[in-house]
Amino acid sequence: MLAVVDEQMNEKKEWEPKVLAFCCNWCSYAGADAAGLERRQTPPTIRVIRVMCSGRIDPAFVLMGFLEGADAVLITGCHIGDCHYVDANYKTRNRFEFLKEFVDELGLEPERLRLEWISASEGAIFADMVKEVTENVKKVGPSPFRKSWKK
Amino acid sequence: MGTCYLAWATDEKIRRRAANGGFVTAALVAALENGLLDAVVVVKKEDVYEGIPTVTSAPEVVVESAGSLHAVPVNLTKFVVEFYKDEKNKGKKIGLPVKPCDARGIIEQAKRQQLDINDIYLVGLNCGGTLHPLNLREAAAEVYGIDPDAVVKEEIKAGKLFLTLQSGEERECKIEELEKKGYGRRDSCKMCITKIPTMADLACGNWGVLKGEEATFVEVLTGKGEALLKNALENGYIKVKEASEKSLEVRERIKNAMVKLAEEWWEKLDAVKELTRDERLKFYVETLRLCINCGACRTVCPVCACDDAAKCVSMHDERDDYVISMYNVIRLLHLMDSCIGCGQCEDVCPVDIPLTFIHRRFAERMQRKLNYMPGMNVSEKPPFYEAELQWHDIL
Repeated sequence: MLAVVDEQMNEKKEWEPKVLAFCCNWCSYAGADAAGLERRQTPPTIRVIRVMCSGRIDPAFVLMGFLEGADAVLITGCHIGDCHYVDANYKTRNRFEFLKEFVDELGLEPERLRLEWISASEGAIFADMVKEVTENVKKVGPSPFRKSWKK
Repeated sequence: MGTCYLAWATDEKIRRRAANGGFVTAALVAALENGLLDAVVVVKKEDVYEGIPTVTSAPEVVVESAGSLHAVPVNLTKFVVEFYKDEKNKGKKIGLPVKPCDARGIIEQAKRQQLDINDIYLVGLNCGGTLHPLNLREAAAEVYGIDPDAVVKEEIKAGKLFLTLQSGEERECKIEELEKKGYGRRDSCKMCITKIPTMADLACGNWGVLKGEEATFVEVLTGKGEALLKNALENGYIKVKEASEKSLEVRERIKNAMVKLAEEWWEKLDAVKELTRDERLKFYVETLRLCINCGACRTVCPVCACDDAAKCVSMHDERDDYVISMYNVIRLLHLMDSCIGCGQCEDVCPVDIPLTFIHRRFAERMQRKLNYMPGMNVSEKPPFYEAELQWHDIL
């Protein structure tokens, strides 16, 4: 019986990446919703965190995501000029420049971090992006910050 | 480039005590005595290896502290910030002799509204580098073969480090040779390319002073600098003459040689350059894992202006057990646009993490990409915050 329990609990599953996505309330979260309404297939790898604005995404949140073991982090928001809070996504874009350099210097693959502007009607783009990121991350393998890597 | 002079103190006593010509001391004393400045910040010499920053309004203390202290790599920025935190010191005019990294730190703090740059007269000193006191002690024993405690004076001249003993005996060694043996300047100074403080009000030093002359080479860079010089000159504390073409040329040549040397050092000290991506990550993780979260690097950092609610502290929790702590990650990220490479963090690190080098690795690529050098100009906003200005582009 113990062997059966062990077998049930330790299924040898293929590794699936975990993709953390920050979506802004007004555009990209609605975009993700649209992808669902349009019945587009999205890989189940994505974990969405809704924030009011992409300008709320502190680079520290993204880095924490990586340290917690995310294989990729997506930052999404309204298109430049469409921000609900006038100019906040300019700040996002600026911070992303820093994050990109930081992640590259630290030694994580650039594929693991992505910034994308997605409007409420762009469900197709959202679905495609998740697919693409998942494929790319599968190629580069699990994040070196995965829990198993710890002491 | 500002107007350049050769200046020297009229007071014999100052000239004898000071490193060369005594202009800096004379100008500060003149400003104190004629009410241009309320106080002067000097590093009071304890011995060759120890100096204490002091605020003083007494001219004799300023005279006493004349002369250079190469083995006291203190950065005065945080000291000045603390000075202005006191309510009764608000609005006081102070002057201080600064190395380029002091000046850059003070300018970065002014950008972060910690102090008013118009209150501070920065008398810049050309800087070829400073020495770590412990390192100099070891060098005295190993290379010079003398008792470190018997050294009463050190002096750097023409690429040589002179140590004077109590008996008056003088020993010398080339800095190049010291550095081959692992002694000599601090790592941050070896790779520093800001040798002449062009961001200060005056840039003073002995580069460009020709043989046989006993004077300070002074470049006037701002209105405040001009006020200092004029005040000292009109009240008879100093004498000046216009710098000749030749001295300008000599100064430029020394500076270029130093900058070239610094670039070579950066190549040499860059231990990560050859590594692959995975090895680089491993290096950072294994080096930063030594961190004991004491927070000393944040306390001394001359560009950090956050209080106790800083992100690097409040988002950090030791129980997280991340491979690199949030403290280090956030500090590395936040300093990408503002690290001036002064090396204070490495000096105070109790577990000897090569922080200067790591911070430079992260900051160098960002600053080069943005074509931005922190601490050079008060009106340049740190690029991390600059985005708010750009939305006018679309209107």
